[in-house]
Amino acid sequence: MTLSMVLERPGPDLDERLGLSVMTTDAIEMRDLFEEQALPFIDQLYAAAMRMTRNPSDAQDLVQDTFVKAFAAFAQFEQGTNLKAWLYRILTNTFINTYRKKQREPFQGTIDDLEDWQLGGAESRTAMSNRSAEAEAIDHLPDSAVKDALQSIPEDFRLAVYFADVEGFSYQEIAEIMKTPIGTVMSRLHRGRRLLRDLLAGYAQERGLGTAGTGQTHNRSTPA
Amino acid sequence: MTDCGCEKAKAELEEYLHNELCGADASDIREHLAHCADCNDEHLVGRTLTEAVQRACREMAPEDLRDQVLLKLRTIQSGH
Repeated sequence: MTLSMVLERPGPDLDERLGLSVMTTDAIEMRDLFEEQALPFIDQLYAAAMRMTRNPSDAQDLVQDTFVKAFAAFAQFEQGTNLKAWLYRILTNTFINTYRKKQREPFQGTIDDLEDWQLGGAESRTAMSNRSAEAEAIDHLPDSAVKDALQSIPEDFRLAVYFADVEGFSYQEIAEIMKTPIGTVMSRLHRGRRLLRDLLAGYAQERGLGTAGTGQTHNRSTPA
Repeated sequence: MTDCGCEKAKAELEEYLHNELCGADASDIREHLAHCADCNDEHLVGRTLTEAVQRACREMAPEDLRDQVLLKLRTIQSGH
């Protein structure tokens, strides 16, 4: 029998099938409850982990570490409160404490202090004068272009955008997940979305999407 | 001078998009958007951006990740 066949039927007798020592009923109930409640978030947590680590292998390790930590702390989780937000807090903490150290980018720690022009992309602010054309262009961009743009903006901005726009967390929840004041969340979100929009406008223009009638030159150079 | 509401709307559009405004503020924006083509277009870009990001970020965990997690939890639990 393969591992996945054994694991297909989780439950009290799985330990015996795996040859593990038999647990107390309480421990098994706690684990079953955890699996029932937390495991359904695995796809979402993996998607978030992909945005954080930017590669599948680290993302898988990060998700696994997150579940291990969440399981260890599950007794402290208050039933009835927001489990998804709780799991995201653990995911984000684990990422920052473990993975970010490995792949830290220059300026990462002070990203909130940098001016927009230092981040690049600000030039194209007026590149698309016609907003409905801009919306249409964004709508027609391939997912890969949006993903690339998202991956290229500073991490704290990317995560704020991801938490708000993809996961639908409230600003307050994001503040708790990222351990930062709400004002910082709003600023990261705003700047992240602005950068994203500029990058996507640039991408669309390079491919001749939604550029009709603007006639403006797109300038990607960064000030010295 | 004339206050067409654009300044307030532009400043709060992102919060409106993320459902962060209280009922009264949100209905102010909604009303403004119904009458202001410019702000309405700006809001359309914002919504489109959100949808594009949602689309691009859809991701399924690899098949065996769930199995690995289940196994790991059992191994840990039997370890103490």
